[in-house]
Amino acid sequence: MRRAFIAAALSAAALAGAAHAQRPTLPDRLDAAARATLERTIDTARVAGLPVGPLYDKVSEGVLKGAADDQIVRAVRSLARSLGDARGALGAPADPSVLTAAASALGTGVTPAELRRLAHPSSGDPNGSTLATALVTLVDLVTKRVPVAMATSSIQSLLDRRATDQQFTSLRADVDRDILAGRAPEASVVDRVRARTGPPPP
Amino acid sequence: MRDHEPDRLPDSLARAVELMRQEEAPSAKWRGELLRRAAAERSSAQWNAARRVTLSVPWAIAAGLLCAVVGGAAAFGVVRYGVSDRGAARLANNSNVSDAGGGTMLPVTFSVMAPNAASVSIVGDFNRWNPTALPMRRSADGRTWQLEVRLPLGLYAYAFMIDGRLSPDPAAPHTAADDFGTPNSMVVVRGS
Repeated sequence: MRRAFIAAALSAAALAGAAHAQRPTLPDRLDAAARATLERTIDTARVAGLPVGPLYDKVSEGVLKGAADDQIVRAVRSLARSLGDARGALGAPADPSVLTAAASALGTGVTPAELRRLAHPSSGDPNGSTLATALVTLVDLVTKRVPVAMATSSIQSLLDRRATDQQFTSLRADVDRDILAGRAPEASVVDRVRARTGPPPP
Repeated sequence: MRDHEPDRLPDSLARAVELMRQEEAPSAKWRGELLRRAAAERSSAQWNAARRVTLSVPWAIAAGLLCAVVGGAAAFGVVRYGVSDRGAARLANNSNVSDAGGGTMLPVTFSVMAPNAASVSIVGDFNRWNPTALPMRRSADGRTWQLEVRLPLGLYAYAFMIDGRLSPDPAAPHTAADDFGTPNSMVVVRGS
């Protein structure tokens, strides 16, 4: 009986701790109006089942970077919207990092339909880690000025061939090296992806 | 009284002075080699990380029990003393705890070349963008700053704070969103 009581107390404490850990606080610097708006946005996301950690992180990032309150509010709203869109496109992935990476990909101009195809390649669904790595690589290629359509189709072809996390990481590093050596990002991506997938069908 | 105007240097001399003022740009070859080494080091770290989380059943049970005790004690601290979750995050980052709150923590080594910097720290989603939480250490060569951070599996945005100025990691993928005028880098922490 005593053991059961201790176990129950520990479980309750652990649950209380977990609940507390999921509710970080907003930085003191924010004014009351911004704080209220952010709390509303974050609560709405929480109720919708979206991960709210990235939203708090966005607030902290904005505060560190000296952004104005309204700029922080805009950024958090935009991220919440992207997370919702990503969830709408992917369903409810178990891995929050996939959702965050997918939200980032939508931010580069990848469409929800393309996102769905990336998540369900012809070779079968990749695990969460591989999909997150693939989406991060896609976003990185776009920030390196590779056109979105080309970056998306390149990543899709790698996912269709069951590329590993390491292959996505090495693709990014190879393209980075090529760009530093003076090659055009597009040409580099075409060659590097072809080297990993073989020549296109005749 | 007439304002004093400095004598104008000849163009060729002015160009030479300007070149001397500029920081020396690394050659593409040197930078390529650096990126290659960084990638190799990261692969090694990831392999080590993968190896560390492969536990046999008895060890997994022992780790689970340890987590339950540590988690329960931390939760008790929260309830009893009102410790914030920031405190828990500091515990996870600053101690050698490899598992906190039931989640796997993996070692991730960050490094950046900043030979002329006086201080470098790392800020990101894993430390609430707190510039004092994770100061980096200058390595033996005097040019590189490094820090190993234990992180739960996930995707994180981060940047380096070099002498008070934010700088993305040149050797990591960058985020698309640039909400606050400074791009971030991204790292995916994975267990295999």
